Amino acid sequence: MATPPRVNRSQEPDRPGISAARIRLGRVFRVESADYFLLLGTTLFLVVFGLVMVLSASVVQSHLEDESFFAQAMRQGLYAVFGIPIMLIASRMPEQFWMRLAWPALLVSCLLQFLVVATGLGITVGGNTNWIQLGPVQFQPSELIKVALVMWLGLIVTKKEALLGDFVHGILPIILVGGGAIGLVLLGGDLGTVMVMGAMLLGALFLIGVRLRLLLPPIFAAIIVFVLVAVSSENRMRRITSFLDANCESGGGGDAVNDCWQILHGSFALANGGIFGVGLGNSTAKWSWLPAADNDFIFAIIGEELGLVGAIVVIAMFVVLAVALGRVLRAARTPFARTVSAAVLVWVIGQACVNIGVVLGVFPVLGVPLPLVSAGGTALLTTLFAIGIVLSVARDPEAASRLAAKAEARAAARKASRASGTRAAR
Amino acid sequence: MRRILLSAALLIALVGVFVVRLVDIQVVRASELNEQAQDARSQPVTVWGSRGDIVDANGKVLADSVMRYDIVLSPKQASKALVERDVPDPENPDKTMEVEVPLAQLAAELGAEVGLTGDQVQGIIASELAADPDSDYAYVAKLVDTETYERVKALDIPWVYADEHPSRRYPNGAVAGNLVGWVDPDGAPVAGIELAEDKCLAGANGEVSYLHSLQDWVKIPGTEIVHEQAHDGGTLKLTIDTDLQWEVQRIAEAQRQAVGASWAMVTVMEVKTGRLLAVADVPTVDPNDPSATDKADRGSRSFTAPFEPGSTFKALTAASVINAGKADPLSQVVAPYRIVFPNGANINDSSGHDDQNLTLTGVLVESSNTGMSQFGELMTDRARYDDMLKFGLGAKTEVDFPAEEPGDLHGDPDDWDNQTKYATMFGQGLTTTAVQIASAYQTIANGGVRMPVSLVDGCVGDDGTATSPASQGEQVISPEAANATSQMLERVYQDAWLSDEWNIPGYRVAAKTGTAQVPDGEGGYLKEYLVSVSGFAPADDPQFVVSVSYMNAVKMNSSAASAPVFQEVMSQVLKKYRTVPSGAPAPELPATW
Repeated sequence: MATPPRVNRSQEPDRPGISAARIRLGRVFRVESADYFLLLGTTLFLVVFGLVMVLSASVVQSHLEDESFFAQAMRQGLYAVFGIPIMLIASRMPEQFWMRLAWPALLVSCLLQFLVVATGLGITVGGNTNWIQLGPVQFQPSELIKVALVMWLGLIVTKKEALLGDFVHGILPIILVGGGAIGLVLLGGDLGTVMVMGAMLLGALFLIGVRLRLLLPPIFAAIIVFVLVAVSSENRMRRITSFLDANCESGGGGDAVNDCWQILHGSFALANGGIFGVGLGNSTAKWSWLPAADNDFIFAIIGEELGLVGAIVVIAMFVVLAVALGRVLRAARTPFARTVSAAVLVWVIGQACVNIGVVLGVFPVLGVPLPLVSAGGTALLTTLFAIGIVLSVARDPEAASRLAAKAEARAAARKASRASGTRAAR
Repeated sequence: MRRILLSAALLIALVGVFVVRLVDIQVVRASELNEQAQDARSQPVTVWGSRGDIVDANGKVLADSVMRYDIVLSPKQASKALVERDVPDPENPDKTMEVEVPLAQLAAELGAEVGLTGDQVQGIIASELAADPDSDYAYVAKLVDTETYERVKALDIPWVYADEHPSRRYPNGAVAGNLVGWVDPDGAPVAGIELAEDKCLAGANGEVSYLHSLQDWVKIPGTEIVHEQAHDGGTLKLTIDTDLQWEVQRIAEAQRQAVGASWAMVTVMEVKTGRLLAVADVPTVDPNDPSATDKADRGSRSFTAPFEPGSTFKALTAASVINAGKADPLSQVVAPYRIVFPNGANINDSSGHDDQNLTLTGVLVESSNTGMSQFGELMTDRARYDDMLKFGLGAKTEVDFPAEEPGDLHGDPDDWDNQTKYATMFGQGLTTTAVQIASAYQTIANGGVRMPVSLVDGCVGDDGTATSPASQGEQVISPEAANATSQMLERVYQDAWLSDEWNIPGYRVAAKTGTAQVPDGEGGYLKEYLVSVSGFAPADDPQFVVSVSYMNAVKMNSSAASAPVFQEVMSQVLKKYRTVPSGAPAPELPATW
């Protein structure tokens, strides 16, 4: 569509300088692949959309807790203001940088998580010891472990690429180290995060092509651990039984009432939204009815304020994000790039699916936030950071030139066909 | 690659599940869930439709509605629950500490606000608990005002709460209390206008529900659902003038005490319209506290207590006779002290005298029963009876006041015995109410046109619609007959024995006295009298009717008791409405021949 005028302008003999400058600028940007921009654009959209929804969902609770309507939204905005530059800077780093950083990052984050679970520095919120207070900053080391694991997986797969067919020398060490890091998080009691991390570890290995036969033992192990952990905690059992309890939607009874409450009021919120929603800011559930309205259950608030349309758009945005990550994964040539993009794909999309599934009552209440959208500073920061790492491999010069060559060939073909087409039209 | 596609398929399947689930919740089951949510997150609240105001002709408020509160406590919680309060920590002024507040202190604090002692409050709790150990409801105080309610609320005692309780106020107290009536503590109308015009005044309570915040119970904007619209009652405007009513009540009561009467009734009516400007019944009830007044004195006798009117009725008979063309003011008759008619009826005057040669005018001036009987005889009983009905007697007035009596014209003329046939000519043997007599005089004053009696000027509903009673007059007697009767009554005013008592300088007045024996209810008469004066002024252009009746004025058992009241009230009315004084003097009519 835009092509014909451009052609006309370049044919103007009076203004050669301007058109020349344009062409040069265009080339600078064309270095990045389409996937890069798809991923970046979708991420930025979700972050900004998330800020709006966090503001809307948190005003009431912020006012009650902090005497300020904007306290939570400002906090989240501050993390976004730091997180987006961090993502853009990360996207400029070479693979070697990440591989060098992988071990230290994993060790430091595991150490911090150890401090959380083993010392008085940890802070317990809602039964999960997941936060650490260092000076004025409060954050979740488990989120850091996630992003460190992404890097470390990339490193270790690169190193052991030849041994990935061997369970004892290839897969087992990965499972043991990764499982150890995840185990630290499990000690904190946050089963939702543990599941996401486990899925990330195994899903990444699956996506990069490790034989299923080799993955089955760790999967069984993970299931056994999950069952043991679930049964060991009354709290978790209750969540699962209340999920299985068919009466839940009519209010439940006894101990189940709290989890039923959240699911029930999530459904109320969604139902209130209908097809087109009650309008931004008009949610009723956020008036203290829906616990974690700006966090784990923000999807319910989205569904209430923006309706079925808004909820489907959000799901669609995550599908687009999945497509973007999948395309990066497909285009990746190095093991690091493959592993990292696969891990982030499983992490972000998996977590989104779990979160939305919980709100919609497809899964039991697991307590994971919606990536990029939910309130939660550390999670936003680390998710952006991880996407930054994927962006850095997506703009791998080789991949770019490959794509550019492809694109050029396509463009040439298109041009040819269009030229003939226009001529025919005239 | 296959694995990516496999994952993509899994994702698509999952998204499919999500979308189906979303549609299920947000579209298919939405209304069912919304209903559940409404039940869970809201509670229906009563919106009080307040009872309408009653105002006088000038808009002065006679009755209005206010919100009051009943202070209630839960005896069970009071005895069990510990109340903790934050108080400044003596050791660290920046901090507060929680202390337990003993029941005695809370009871004393609560009592102080509602005018009880702490022991009394504890007594309420103890006695209620003795009756029912699980009691959650005991009144501490009823109908407290908003300031008290706010102060009780500020005490923040968890087991004390307040119920809204709309209440009625009568800011003018006993002024027109006989007419306004009152409502019971639950707001149901009991008497007077409150009862008669309940249809206009009653508000309709509505019901709304709104969603509220779970934590601090704040009402969420834009979530109100009106289940039933509340309606305020209409504003009822009376024809009464409060200032005049107060003055008339004052005059009536002062004289009542002076002459030792059981009760008195004074009615002021506008001639051209039939509007009642003041209806005084003394003693008068204060609607704010009806029980302080004797039960018999709580209503308006002007409407509810018919009496035999006596000689004031002679004006009606005279008007009928003239209207029928059977006589004129100068028609002559010989009036003896006692006369026995051929049918055996035996009529005598109130005091002995020789035969008098009286004109019809003279009969009225002398208030001669024997003279009146001879004139009344000129008409058939049926014709006189029909005229009475047309004057508005024997039927309730248009006001339709609660418990209003129609009066009794001794049944039908066919039922009249020989004595009654004559007695009804001078106001005995039949009963009328004070308002009926005022209305009959209004008819004579208004050129023979009777206007419907009105006490209510109209009702303005909460939606602004106004209703007002019909005001179509009815010609009862010819203007000439009315005019002739009026002129004769002027002679009565000027020449009768009380003419010095009731003189109002500057105005021509038409009036007639009455001293009626009170029937004992068994066909005989008591030694009690109802003394009355009815009249209107200015006689050359009649504007106001004043009718005064005193029951059993033991210290002065004649119309001399009521005449000064007539004079005072009429003077007040003429002054108040700045009535133009009369020009020419009253025409002379000879009373004798």
